[in-house]
Amino acid sequence: MKEITYINPVLLIAVPLALAFIIPILKFVWEKSIKWIPVAGFLFDLIVSITLIPIVLQKNIIVKIGGTTTPFSINLVVGPAGLLLSIMISLAGFLVAIYALKYIQEGDKTKYHILFMLLLTGAIGVVLTGDIFNLFVFFEVLCISSYALVGYLGNRAGIESSIKYLIQGSIGSSLLLVGIGLIYGQYGTLNMADLAAQIKTADSISLFVPMFFMITGLGIEAAIFPLNSWLPDAHSSAPSSISAVLSGIAIEVGLYAMMRILFTIFAAESFMGFLLFLGVITLLIGEMSAFSQNNIKRMLAYSSIGQIGLIVFAFSIATASGLSGGFFQMISHTLNKALLFLATGFMIYRTGSMEISSFRGLGKKMPLTALFFTIGTFSIIGLPPFVGFASKFLIFKAALAKQELLFIILIAVIILTTVIEGAYFFRIIQTLYFKESDDKSSKQESAITALIPMFIFALLILILGIYPNWIMKFIHSAASELLNKMSYLRSVLG
Amino acid sequence: MDFLYNYIYYIGAFGLILIGLYILLVKHNLIKMIIGLSILETGVNLFIITLGYLDNGTAPIFSKENLESNMMVDPVPQALVLTAIVIGLAVLALALSLAIRLYDSFKTLNLKKIKEQKW
Repeated sequence: MKEITYINPVLLIAVPLALAFIIPILKFVWEKSIKWIPVAGFLFDLIVSITLIPIVLQKNIIVKIGGTTTPFSINLVVGPAGLLLSIMISLAGFLVAIYALKYIQEGDKTKYHILFMLLLTGAIGVVLTGDIFNLFVFFEVLCISSYALVGYLGNRAGIESSIKYLIQGSIGSSLLLVGIGLIYGQYGTLNMADLAAQIKTADSISLFVPMFFMITGLGIEAAIFPLNSWLPDAHSSAPSSISAVLSGIAIEVGLYAMMRILFTIFAAESFMGFLLFLGVITLLIGEMSAFSQNNIKRMLAYSSIGQIGLIVFAFSIATASGLSGGFFQMISHTLNKALLFLATGFMIYRTGSMEISSFRGLGKKMPLTALFFTIGTFSIIGLPPFVGFASKFLIFKAALAKQELLFIILIAVIILTTVIEGAYFFRIIQTLYFKESDDKSSKQESAITALIPMFIFALLILILGIYPNWIMKFIHSAASELLNKMSYLRSVLG
Repeated sequence: MDFLYNYIYYIGAFGLILIGLYILLVKHNLIKMIIGLSILETGVNLFIITLGYLDNGTAPIFSKENLESNMMVDPVPQALVLTAIVIGLAVLALALSLAIRLYDSFKTLNLKKIKEQKW
């Protein structure tokens, strides 16, 4: 068989990490260039990830760091699921970095760019790693940078939310570490594939306890229902560019880590019924709280909770089509929520207020920004021909294919939440376009560096909504990688 | 007493974890909560160290003569804890600097009195 040459996936983590720490040195040499470093780093990641797609679709790429054989070395496993998320992360990172060129005006910009790069590097590490302790380390890189970035503006709301997030997040990480310790104590290995080979089913109490610790720990970062009180504060007080990556990337990475542990390591099909209900409750609570908000960023943050609930529901169906729906919903949520937060960022910048009522007449004053915002809302509600429709449709189809009464009832609840979602998002659209504003200031768009990323997000939403089949093959193989434990084992252990 | 002798480190570790959680749940002063967080992390680290600990064990140096594998301490948990300590230090430093900023902004460290963000 011909050996195919490809770029080593370690560079996906190493390059942004190295660039992040070059920034403080570069500050003394050429200060104007630092804001371009994240753009360059994530453009590199995006290109490398895309070139890896054809190889990964054939077989997983295993990178052994340190050169020893698999169960003993630290390894990266680049499978379709990891690569799919890595593409989303680097795409969002690249576009949000472009947006931040003009958007970030206050505070110490050097720190912002370093932390932003570390946040996304941690996220890429989590999705590519094949080792649970490394997962913890990358997860902490992600979490610590996000605690700091939430408080970046240094205002009262930012500091308060950052403290809340830090305390809850640290408890979560400690619980995750206890879970990892319990697992290591029983099996003497930290490699996910090796663990998966030794663990047949998670029904015994000695496996349920570590699983419970790990799921609770990751559930705090993934903002699943009883553990999500930090999210609305943190996501609404951060700068909008950071809210975009926190909502679009960070919580989904937490969720991915959780699903990887549940499906690959524990094969915990029996646990999924519980998550099914948690997902629907999360969805219901998120959307109902979003409905009563007047602050636009809080509304979007609660809507993120709702979307996470929907993704949890999709994964908990635990069939191939359910998982495909979950991955599709992840993609759609990243695109939608990033677009919404980016558009909101400049709308808030323009009006100086986060109250929805202050956005009156912005549809005339910022026509393009308002248009992109509208595309984002239509997509997140699930109107065709946007990507949100395709993903919700897939999830409903997967749930109805189970042909159980329970699923039909849950689908009814989810459709009800979609109505609530529509109600509060259409309220904003109405404020934007159909309410006259009092002040007659002239038309002024967002900065061009902000419009370009918004345009690309909107374009992707539209294209993937019209031609979802373009990525379906990739998504199907991601779903089967997560569901099919044996093929993952074989690819890693050889 | 055998039970206590065999499991004393585990009891201590989980005792520390529970003390840390108790402080985090009950106290309202931010500095005390940070101390609680620190105790919680110490407990977790102690627990992981205990997993590989052996009374009178030695470092796993395979070139040394007359050394059986059951006399060696497992080095992996120690490496893990080294990493976890560094991470804990970063979290602690960030938490303390946020505490300073919190006091500057609100003139109090009592989290019960700070209620600007709510559902």
